[in-house]
Amino acid sequence: MSSLFIKNPEKIRRWNIAGNFILAGAGIAVASPFLWVLFASFKSGSQLNNPTLIAFTPNLENWKIVLNSGIFQSALRSAAVGIITVSIAIIVGSMGAYSISRYKTGGSATRFGILAAQVLPPAVLVFPLLDLAYRLRVNGTLTSVIAAHLSLVLPVVTWFLIGFFDAAPKEVEEQALVDGLSRFQAFRKVVLPQVGPGIGASAIFGFVVSWNDLFYALILAPGNAATLPVRIAGFNTFRGVELGAMSAAILVSVIPVLIASFFIQRHLVRGISGGAVKF
Amino acid sequence: MSFRLRMMGPLIMIFLAAIGYPLLSSFALSLTNYKITQRNATKFVGLAQYKDVLQDRSYWSSLTVTLIFIITAVILELAIGLAIAMALQNQKRFRNFTRSFLLTPMFVTPIAVGLMFRFLLNDQLGVIPALLNKIGINYDFFGPSRAIYSIVAIDVWQWTPFMVLLLLAGLESLSKQPFEAARVDGASPFYTFRRVTLPMLAPILTVAVLIRSLDASKVFEYVYAITRGGPGTQTQTIQYFTYKTGIQFYRLGQASAMSYLLLLIVISIVVVLFHRIEKVRAME
Amino acid sequence: MSSVVLKQVEKAYGPVLAVRGIDLVIPDGKFVVLVGPSGCGKTTTLRMIAGLESVTSGSIFIGDKDVTNLEPKDRDISMVFQNYALYPHLSVAENIAFPLLARGANRTDIQPRIDEVAAALSISQLLNRKPKELSGGQQQRVAIGRAIARSPRVFLFDEPLSNLDAKLRVEMRTELLRLQRELSTTAIYVTHDQEEAMTLSDIMVVMRDGLIRQMGKPDDIYENPVDTFVAEFVGSPKMNMITGKLEGNRFASPTGVVTNIQSSNHHNVIIGIRPEDVLISGDVANGMAGRIEIIELLGPRAIVTVKCSNQRITAVVEMAHLLGLTEGLEVGVNLREGRVHIFSVEDGIRITS
Repeated sequence: MSSLFIKNPEKIRRWNIAGNFILAGAGIAVASPFLWVLFASFKSGSQLNNPTLIAFTPNLENWKIVLNSGIFQSALRSAAVGIITVSIAIIVGSMGAYSISRYKTGGSATRFGILAAQVLPPAVLVFPLLDLAYRLRVNGTLTSVIAAHLSLVLPVVTWFLIGFFDAAPKEVEEQALVDGLSRFQAFRKVVLPQVGPGIGASAIFGFVVSWNDLFYALILAPGNAATLPVRIAGFNTFRGVELGAMSAAILVSVIPVLIASFFIQRHLVRGISGGAVKF
Repeated sequence: MSFRLRMMGPLIMIFLAAIGYPLLSSFALSLTNYKITQRNATKFVGLAQYKDVLQDRSYWSSLTVTLIFIITAVILELAIGLAIAMALQNQKRFRNFTRSFLLTPMFVTPIAVGLMFRFLLNDQLGVIPALLNKIGINYDFFGPSRAIYSIVAIDVWQWTPFMVLLLLAGLESLSKQPFEAARVDGASPFYTFRRVTLPMLAPILTVAVLIRSLDASKVFEYVYAITRGGPGTQTQTIQYFTYKTGIQFYRLGQASAMSYLLLLIVISIVVVLFHRIEKVRAME
Repeated sequence: MSSVVLKQVEKAYGPVLAVRGIDLVIPDGKFVVLVGPSGCGKTTTLRMIAGLESVTSGSIFIGDKDVTNLEPKDRDISMVFQNYALYPHLSVAENIAFPLLARGANRTDIQPRIDEVAAALSISQLLNRKPKELSGGQQQRVAIGRAIARSPRVFLFDEPLSNLDAKLRVEMRTELLRLQRELSTTAIYVTHDQEEAMTLSDIMVVMRDGLIRQMGKPDDIYENPVDTFVAEFVGSPKMNMITGKLEGNRFASPTGVVTNIQSSNHHNVIIGIRPEDVLISGDVANGMAGRIEIIELLGPRAIVTVKCSNQRITAVVEMAHLLGLTEGLEVGVNLREGRVHIFSVEDGIRITS
């Protein structure tokens, strides 16, 4: 936007400097908590009692404790829940989103329903799900968590996909119809590849939503089927020794998401301005 | 059945199963005195639970806490988010890296964020109070009448990036011409910001604020990780209060009534939001 | 190759009738152009023939087969869209192969056909590229290649040239015509550009407000437009229209008086005269008096705009006759004998004398 503010070169320069200061400040604010937790994960119990200590001999004790605590099983469980939830959400959501975008199925009412479903207070849904899980004897299992996560992920993913389908040119699929494909074939072979990046971004976004959820997982599957957030919440203690372990556990959950976020970020900005959340 | 309905079928089925059923069943629960622990049969009590909840001072106080939380957090997120979004748009080098990096907090597990800040802000073991101590300031981040603002700060840390994402997408979709016209007309940067950028961005700002507000109303993890509602009930947000009623005290009927009342508030806000979106859609 | 027949075809969007009962018979192998201003229903009609829009009432036949309720894929057509509609994720060769493969052809069997089509459109060197690496003209060639790769019974074109620049548009127009003549496949072409319609069509169909106003050979329509709408729509610069009173062969209007009209009518009428039939002389007393406002040179001829009291009259003047005419000059305007069109004042319909 710098070019839009040109009055004289001095002003641009000042504007840019101010902008860089803001970004630098934001960068420090984002980075320092992560760095500090990284430090803490290598500190011993007594070193943790001195929070400003920077020069110390790192040790791997905390990491050993965490890695032996079943956190990998929890991470795998979270990943499984995320992948199953997202796969269902993408398949079902893309079909529905296409129908809504292309054929205006259900008119405004459908769009409203999908939007409203995204803001339902989780507390409204969780108790009946818990109750039902008891009755079906799937309480404390991942099945009920997946069902709950679908209620969380499916509306968001569908909403994103509607935007991506809205932005895709209609002519190409019409061409495919004329060229001899059935409507479903045209959807699968021509429309889906066009919104491929959008589907990828929605899938990762949905996965992150599922991966990060504590509320449903804590209520529906505490105990032996604990997902990663539930497991991490279990490190919620303030005895000095376990602070280091907690730091390591936090990092275990953060690192995969940070990697995913780097892949998704550019698509998200484009997706949102390209119509995904077009307001 | 037509093609469009066949495509909608699976979506409708899962919606009904995962959202429709719990929604209705939750309403049914809210009309009973159901407790997981109770021995005698569950009774239909009509709207009695609602009456109790509305007369419960703790319910109103958690609504107030949640409202204060939403207002302070969203205003801060909007102001900081707008500054960062404009700086990002203005940026020339390392654009992709900066963007990816600054957006990371929104992807981190909220419970991890809560624990991280519980640690960093802790009275004895946290680095921030320790540093403040060295320059002679003694500040207890989770003390009375302060804890709620510390929770706000954590929310700002995690969710300002989401605001940045929405506003950046908005800024980049604006037509360049009005800005060029303002430049030719000799408008100062501040004047351009006030008279061109803000009005053009207004629809996106409105929606961004609404989305963040609705999301902030769900705040749970930070409270669960750090204060558990305390000191007293000063940080007992509505979501945490409902969780406590339903899970710690096993009063599912009452908890359902509580969340249904919240749903009514939320849905009325969404109606406003939706009208806004449809209006913008119609304009295009 | 097939004929196409539309019987009382209507299309309604809610209460709005976009197409209001069209009857059209397109003989096998002809090049038909639907032309009209935007909103006249031409594109909707084409999309109904393609099967992309449902038909509200009436029926459509391709050959002897009633296709009214068939899916597009079962109509044996191919179509070229305004913005080319290439499959962005497929290469040029795969784009051209798509309609063949979609109908179950074997990839190795169709390679010769792809090469043949690519050669015919001189895009052989582009076969491995993706659409986004091509210029607009090249993309259009690929789109046409995809349409002709299979031998469909009918080609449909939806303003295929309007995204191209002026020079390329004329080139592609010639090429399209050549291809259609070679293949002699029935073609239906939609455009808002009357010049394109005139040059391409065996049969030109002028539409307005969801109805066919006139159809026939382009030169027939040019010579005998059925009403003032068609008269003004076809031809460039457009026909001059003057409202006045006709008494025998004397036509009097606020614009001026001319006395060489062949008519026995005594009416209030609109007369229409094509710019090339407007004669300008230095003699102010001869015909309608006016002053030359603007002369626009077009190479071998020029467009001269004359202001005659209340109205501007456009004339196309050959270079040889332009000598001595300058902007600001007072002139006399006459209408070439036998070239005047007479229309009713009330409804604009042509009056035959």
